[in-house]
Amino acid sequence: MSKIIGAVEIGTSCAKALVGEVTEGKSLNIVGKSVRKNEGMRKGEIVDFRKVASSVHAALEEAEKMSGTTVDSVYLAQTGAHIKGSFLRGSANVASPDGRVSVDDLQTAANEAKRKQPASGRSYVHHVRMPIQLDGRSVEDPVGMIGKKVELIYWSIEGDESAIRMNLDLAHNYGLEVADLILSSIASSTMVAGPDLRRAGVLVIDLGAGVTDLALYRNGNVAYTGVIPVGGDHLTGDLSMGLRVLEPYAEELKIEYGKSQSDPSDADQQLWIIGNKTIGDRKVPRKTMTDIIHVRIVELFEIISKELGDLLDTSELGAGVLLTGGASRLPGIEQLASKVLGVPVTKASFPSGLGNELAQPENSTVLGLLHYGLEDHGLPGEQHKPASSGFIKKLGGLIGI
Amino acid sequence: MNTNQETFFETTDDSSLNNNSFGIRAKVIGVGGAGISLVDGLRFDNFDFVDNLIIDVDMKAVADSLASHKLTFGRRHTRGMGTGGDVNLGKRLAEEEKDKIRKELEGVDLIFLLAGLGGGVGGGAAPVVARLAREHGALVFAFTPLPFSWEKARHAQAEECLSELRKHANAVIPLPNDSLLQMGGEDSTALECFAEAGRNVSRGIAAICNIVFKKGMIDVDFSYLRKVFSGRGGRTLFGYGKGSGPEGLREALRDLLVCPMLHMPDVSKAADVLLIFVQGGTSLSMSGLQAVSKEIRDSFKAGEDVVFGAHVDENLGEEVKITILGVTSLDPLVPTADVAPVAQQVLELGKQPKQSHRSKLEITGTKTEKTSSIATRKKRGKKGDNKEQNTFFFMEEENQRGIFDDLPSRNMYEGEDLDVPSYLRRGVKIVI
Repeated sequence: MSKIIGAVEIGTSCAKALVGEVTEGKSLNIVGKSVRKNEGMRKGEIVDFRKVASSVHAALEEAEKMSGTTVDSVYLAQTGAHIKGSFLRGSANVASPDGRVSVDDLQTAANEAKRKQPASGRSYVHHVRMPIQLDGRSVEDPVGMIGKKVELIYWSIEGDESAIRMNLDLAHNYGLEVADLILSSIASSTMVAGPDLRRAGVLVIDLGAGVTDLALYRNGNVAYTGVIPVGGDHLTGDLSMGLRVLEPYAEELKIEYGKSQSDPSDADQQLWIIGNKTIGDRKVPRKTMTDIIHVRIVELFEIISKELGDLLDTSELGAGVLLTGGASRLPGIEQLASKVLGVPVTKASFPSGLGNELAQPENSTVLGLLHYGLEDHGLPGEQHKPASSGFIKKLGGLIGI
Repeated sequence: MNTNQETFFETTDDSSLNNNSFGIRAKVIGVGGAGISLVDGLRFDNFDFVDNLIIDVDMKAVADSLASHKLTFGRRHTRGMGTGGDVNLGKRLAEEEKDKIRKELEGVDLIFLLAGLGGGVGGGAAPVVARLAREHGALVFAFTPLPFSWEKARHAQAEECLSELRKHANAVIPLPNDSLLQMGGEDSTALECFAEAGRNVSRGIAAICNIVFKKGMIDVDFSYLRKVFSGRGGRTLFGYGKGSGPEGLREALRDLLVCPMLHMPDVSKAADVLLIFVQGGTSLSMSGLQAVSKEIRDSFKAGEDVVFGAHVDENLGEEVKITILGVTSLDPLVPTADVAPVAQQVLELGKQPKQSHRSKLEITGTKTEKTSSIATRKKRGKKGDNKEQNTFFFMEEENQRGIFDDLPSRNMYEGEDLDVPSYLRRGVKIVI
């Protein structure tokens, strides 16, 4: 029996939709995909709802058409500068007289952990569960084991309620149920950093158009997630101002000639801004262009380094740093990042078996949504049900799920 | 690098000075330390109808200045020393001694206020001076250096003072220190860059004064200047460009459009009120001026309120200089697409060009060359006309307004706005 699931990422530059077919519960086939330019967003946040809606809906429609089927529920990515993460803890004493851990004990601990409500105007996006602790030991599934106390730890991600609601509304307006809201950085990490890398310790940096998403794993678990409100669009903006050209030309120059570090060959190289012999076209030095990009990239990684602080520890990052996202295409960015962060940095690759067209850095998040969605992240013994996220439950009444 | 500021003021021979018939008094007022240095950096040779005055609490700074008129205040509170960067103190002291300041403003029609907004006196007292000047009915143009953005607290304070000053002055032209590093040649020193700030102020003042006080090809009278700049206090733009050779005017226009001062965050990309001042040698042609004025107006989406002045200076030879100053109204933009720009009317009112000005600067493809000025005006008044002659289309579309300009809030991280290009905040010089 097969099941159809969808993934939607509403990114700053593009809205992306994927339709996947899951057969036999495990194997995933991507049967529909679509990417539409999105002009209603800045830095991961919606500034023009209708523009965003039309590109999201166009993307979904096309992906569905391509797959020849319809999607009932989707995994939706969430990012934005308003997103913050923190650890929440909850514990429960084992209730049964024989000292065996029951599903109820886990539920009690989970409830305690999630009891803390975010400040008003804020809502939870995503709770990422760490391994269950039974009397201080990490256990995969303690149900039936003997012990005194179970402890649950979540990396809990919260964000601005209205921003999250707008994101959800975009799916609901298309008549879709949101199976789960997933943090963008966790989705892309799922895609580019497999369990081995996560166990070794890895930092995944997804350089998007609007924002840069970070996820750091230690011993296989999330240790930190963050969003830096700087992305590839900032490179375009800087170029537009520095070279004094309009944004579309700056964007083209960036894609065509952008690189993160100037080298001697740039010295006398001049680039045409438009390049089609239009009257009024002028030349700009390639070195100038590279310099503008260079300072921005250095600054971005300095901010990342500041944000991570002690977490950026080479000994805990066995798998180093992986770069993904559209802006990671910039030539030489990994060397520069490595220089600033002081940790080995490589461009992330995709697991084999994905088509060439899909295995592109800007697709990490949307692909990751499907993969993350497929995995069971619930508590042992808990039914894996859609709309399990606290936020969706909470908003259920409001948005009419 | 050492372009003399004086040339801006020495544009015409004395015989053409026509100050008295206007009876307009102008005054340059430097407030606070940075203001004083700017006043000292200006030279008023051949321009003696502009008075100058410096105001500060720091007696030593005042005593050292070359300015002809000086005013110290607040001695009782600071014992003749500075305010130590305390804006509130600067403001309070100025308020306390406002009668003294008022006396200096009496009968002055046009005031150029120079004040560094990062300082206590510049930031605190300058808005008070501007307010008092407006109460006296003067037209106030302020030129205000802003601290580097890495001077975080001072920068934030200066921004507050800037919005305060905007409430009172007719036009405030910020001169961010960040931008200074973008000026001059590749290896210009810090000192040369700061001198460039002084030159900017000179350029701005000279453009306005030349238009008002001197006779040239095309002039504007003061009451018109007052009318168009009255009551505005929005974002401003200020830029300049120069060119030389047979295509000098065109080259100056190109240079203007890439002027670093026009490509800073917070610089308006459109102007409801626009002042354009062109200076050139004897080869300056009327048709060339018309074409350039049109392109500038189009580039900055100028509405009706355009002040256009053009002067001939024989000493300039084939060199052409353009200075522009624009203000965006705080009120919502009023669509003005179908109105014949005032500059055209001004062109008509202006003196006839001397015969020697016969066009050497003919611009190919310009429709205006062979048509009479009236016919031209009718043609130009039409929306969307003459599109094909606009070679600078890639500089002037809607999204020129800065790529993150549509966002309501700033992207602050440790006191810096991350949406502002890193190279500006980090002082990395960009040479194009």
